[in-house]
Amino acid sequence: MTEHVVVVGYGNVLRCDDGVGRHAAERLVDDPRMDGVEVLQRHQLTPELALDISAASLVVLIDASSRLGPGEVRVDRVEPAVDDGPSGSHHLTPATLVALSHALYGRAADVFVVSCGVQSLEVGEHLSPVVDAALPRLVDAVTGLVESRARLRPCPKSEQGAETSDGPPGMRAARSEPNT
Amino acid sequence: MTKTIIIDPVTRIEGHSKITIHLDDQGDVVDAQFHVTQFRGFERIVQGRPVHEMPSIMARICGICPVSHLIASSKACDQILAVEPPPTGADLRRVMNLAQIVQSNALSFFHLSSPDLLFGFDADPAHRNIIGVARSNPQLARDGVGIRRFGQQIIEWLGGKRIHPSWIVPGGVDAPLLEETRDRILSTIPEAIAAIERALAWYKSSILQWADEAASFGDFRSAYMGLVDDDGNVDHYGGSLRVMDADGNLLADRIDPTTYTDYLGEAVEPWTYLKSTYWKALGYPDGVYRVGPLARVIVADQMGTQRADAELEEFRQRLGRVPSSSFHYHYARLIDALYAAERIEELLRGPDILLPRVRSFAGINSNEGIGVSEAPRGTLLHHYRVDSDGIVEWANLVIATGHNNLAMNRSVLQVAKRYVKSAQLTEPMLNRVEAVIRCYDPCLSCSTHALGEMALHVQLLSPSGAVLDELVR
Repeated sequence: MTEHVVVVGYGNVLRCDDGVGRHAAERLVDDPRMDGVEVLQRHQLTPELALDISAASLVVLIDASSRLGPGEVRVDRVEPAVDDGPSGSHHLTPATLVALSHALYGRAADVFVVSCGVQSLEVGEHLSPVVDAALPRLVDAVTGLVESRARLRPCPKSEQGAETSDGPPGMRAARSEPNT
Repeated sequence: MTKTIIIDPVTRIEGHSKITIHLDDQGDVVDAQFHVTQFRGFERIVQGRPVHEMPSIMARICGICPVSHLIASSKACDQILAVEPPPTGADLRRVMNLAQIVQSNALSFFHLSSPDLLFGFDADPAHRNIIGVARSNPQLARDGVGIRRFGQQIIEWLGGKRIHPSWIVPGGVDAPLLEETRDRILSTIPEAIAAIERALAWYKSSILQWADEAASFGDFRSAYMGLVDDDGNVDHYGGSLRVMDADGNLLADRIDPTTYTDYLGEAVEPWTYLKSTYWKALGYPDGVYRVGPLARVIVADQMGTQRADAELEEFRQRLGRVPSSSFHYHYARLIDALYAAERIEELLRGPDILLPRVRSFAGINSNEGIGVSEAPRGTLLHHYRVDSDGIVEWANLVIATGHNNLAMNRSVLQVAKRYVKSAQLTEPMLNRVEAVIRCYDPCLSCSTHALGEMALHVQLLSPSGAVLDELVR
């Protein structure tokens, strides 16, 4: 299968560090390491992204996190939500989105969330200094995921379904946790 | 002892609100109120700003319907500049507005209301959501995703981004349409129309299941208001205001929207930040009228496109010329979306749609401007006054949810009287009270970014404020 990689930076750029994912996406659009990668910016995760997740082989979500220390970058692999998700609003968690992709289209890409800890969520269009300084590491974490995926050889049928990556070298990697 | 039930916040609507239900000593409902609890203040925020900034500032009112505010604001600015957009510029504004109608109607119908419609109002809330819909009726859910994406993509392709595009400007639009973009949009229309028609077929096949709700979800006589063109077709961008009473008589027709203050009054109440707009001839609070998709399909003679007209004819055969229940907003929302998709195609196939002249330029030529459009939820008015340098001195916004405020309060009371019979709080009862509000799809400005989770919190309070019963989900 041809690699189809989608990167989605999301958040509110009017609430300072909440928009760090979109700031990273802006940098990634012009990054030569992302040649052939579709880079999207969104305010929040909506059900429509299930289409992108079903059609891609790898999806990297970039989000702000209030659970991490300011400027800390972390990579999490996303597993489908086992429950039925939220009581019905129009924005979803990464895990619910993956579950929705499975339910609607019978498949989902490998999905990772690359998170950056926030310092300020006040009204404003600028990043805090510590998060601004972390932006290159956040971008590198995303490109590392994409490049490590590109280096992988096609998976034999008997190995399909196994985890293919826990994130790029040097980055903390873990199973998914909810972000902001 | 009088008791009060509070539903706070109301879920699956755009924005923050709560509902209070007041019981008498026998436990019967005596009153109910729909409170909008968030304060925005845009009419004051813009004072002192240059008028050319108004469209982009006003678009920030909402993350769901920013295009409507862009259009109403730009049309108000057109008047202050004393210009008419070139015909191609006006048609391109129409295309983007209609795309927003499609995506917003899809959000309301598929993502917010279809869980109730599919599983019923007594179903377990844990499964009554978009994931539950996807597992139970994946075609319906796929169509919802596809229809919303169709509208969002058009907005993004035209304006550069899905939310808060800055392409619509005073005098027209910022850039002409590329042939490649037109063809790209046209290629997506057949599937969008097919998906909307599948949803309509499903809705019509299921409509009898909801007879009880249809009979109590805002089922009362009132007037309806919307924009129509010179031939009586639905018009989401221009035209004039038409108001029809519950018997199908025209209370007013061909109203120039710039004279809205002659017909519409605005009342404020101490328990809500949302103004209540009323029909002046009937006074406050008796001057109840409704706007939005249901009003649009009622006041128009016809929709003006082939497929939507056929659906409207069937709608009227099933429900009559002026349906009285707000439950039928759901049905009307799909017909409205079908019309929008067809009309987008008509506009894009127009011979002049690719012309480069799309914007008129001018300075400040008037001190006052009023812009109107049909937003997804109904008629939207922006009214500005500026000084000779174009600095905004005063602004007034009449939004669709304000037009519907009196009707929503009356609807909540009706549902509460029908379903709330004691101080015992139950999920189905609460969901019906919420669901009647969702019929109107009120937009309480979701551009305010919420931190944390919005849970449903219901309290039963004594007159002294003591919590007698409590329910959280």
